[in-house]
Amino acid sequence: MKTYRWLLRRELWENRAIWLIPVVIAVALVFAALFGRVDVMEDVPSRTFGGMLLLLVGILYFLVFGVYSSWYLLDCLYSDRRDKSVLFWKSLPISDSATVLSKLAMALLVIPVVYFVVSDVSVLLTAFIVSVRAHSILGGALWSPDLWLQLQVLWIYLIVVSAIWFLPLAGYLLLISASARRAVMLWSILPPLALGLIERWFFGTHVIFREVSVRLAGFPAVAFRPDPNAPWTGGGEDLGRALPSVWNMIDLQGFFSSPQTLVGVAVGAGLIFCAIQVRSRRAEI
Amino acid sequence: MPPLIEAKGLTKRYGPRVALDHVDFQVEAGRIVGLIGPNGAGKTSALRAILGLASYEGQLLVLGREPSSQRAQLMRDASFIADVAVLPGWLRVDRAIDFVAGIHPRFRRDRAIALLAKTQVTGGQKIRELSKGMKTQVHLALTMAIDARLLVLDEPTLGLDILARSAFYDALVNDYMDETRTILITTHQVEEVENLLTDVMFIDRGRIVLNSPLEDIAARYAAVGVSPDALEAARAERPFFERRMLGKTVCYYENPDLDKLGALGETHTPSVADLFVAKLSRGDA
Repeated sequence: MKTYRWLLRRELWENRAIWLIPVVIAVALVFAALFGRVDVMEDVPSRTFGGMLLLLVGILYFLVFGVYSSWYLLDCLYSDRRDKSVLFWKSLPISDSATVLSKLAMALLVIPVVYFVVSDVSVLLTAFIVSVRAHSILGGALWSPDLWLQLQVLWIYLIVVSAIWFLPLAGYLLLISASARRAVMLWSILPPLALGLIERWFFGTHVIFREVSVRLAGFPAVAFRPDPNAPWTGGGEDLGRALPSVWNMIDLQGFFSSPQTLVGVAVGAGLIFCAIQVRSRRAEI
Repeated sequence: MPPLIEAKGLTKRYGPRVALDHVDFQVEAGRIVGLIGPNGAGKTSALRAILGLASYEGQLLVLGREPSSQRAQLMRDASFIADVAVLPGWLRVDRAIDFVAGIHPRFRRDRAIALLAKTQVTGGQKIRELSKGMKTQVHLALTMAIDARLLVLDEPTLGLDILARSAFYDALVNDYMDETRTILITTHQVEEVENLLTDVMFIDRGRIVLNSPLEDIAARYAAVGVSPDALEAARAERPFFERRMLGKTVCYYENPDLDKLGALGETHTPSVADLFVAKLSRGDA
């Protein structure tokens, strides 16, 4: 456990972008709130507006986290082979599985939690500034404990679900990072692309392309269900009450019993095992 | 007491090329062994195998462990510097100390700090801000602060200027070596390590061509400076190597009859560097 604590700390030392990027986004949001135009849409209830704002900011952070974590996984084992510092890390009593798993934990747990915390702080600050500037009750809507709590639940659920859903993707990126001698970016894209094209030419099917795109973007369909109590139809006065409840949309049982989730975990575990094996045999480029 | 390193039939192939060809050797505790050979002779392959950095065939036990499967455990009792300037550039010197202190059960922080105090390096500096010689000093300080049973140095001074090289060996001799240390060192610069060593091992084209304690070399090898008129008589004693020098020919003998050789000219014990040239040029002469 102590080893893992130091390994995670080392990752934070090396990759300052882990917290710099979300902090830069937060500063940009706060500046926008301070100096941008503040229009209060008269016909949209403030509760809906507040909910949308929370959600949009959350989605923005989540997308940036996804891009950054992917890049991080692709680079982490490659960069220390490139600069030969792997020869220093391997001179210490740290197993290759601890090294690889610490980087996996960074990408799937630590980095999203950093984004979650920074996103929370920036949303609170932004909402406070906007409500003061607009002299509106918007602030009140944002502080409403219900909406706030829902956003927290959504974040935590998303972190857990995406860590599981994206396990095969993370394993694949780690394997590339452990094995490629150069051009990790190309290696991450070309093999699935080539296999997909070969499949299309020879069999006329798109199984690989479909599986890849489902894995990249398909998890909301597995992890969430429509809120039966809050139909999006309706409008005007109803819109305020039409915000769906995160509690009703979370589909834990559906997610964990989906074959897509289970197959993904199995494939991901296999790829991570391969990445550890390659890491223990290949020290340099 | 079993040897610290025991290799039997150690073999390393890169595709069709054989870098190590069924090599047998042992390193006993308390010895300082120089592994000496030309480029591509298999030195680095042997060391990478011993350190668990690369795969190999054959039997190899280092401190009673199999390096290929137990590198992390092995590194609790062994330490190494492979190559020059492999510390990661982004790491701060004080954090490097913190990290190794956190990870390594046998690291003595006070010792590392005392060793660094003798250099120009300060704790707040990043590795990338240091000169190549200073990077080597930091790495040596970190490594010497580990109470290891075996220290392996692979070309630790390659590319350093003469001042940095002598600083490196001064620190090693004055602050590290005592009769309990076992060191395995490879280098091109034979002259530089000659008076540190207790044993030499010559390796050429994947085979060990000489493995001897230094004190046995005087009994086993002799060189005679022969003037041209005595050359025929000298050749009759079957030297294994001849070298023309300033009008004389130096003849090298294995298991010499010193009485006979004394009649031919002035005899002396060859230096390790001369013996290296003599032994390894034999095939080409």
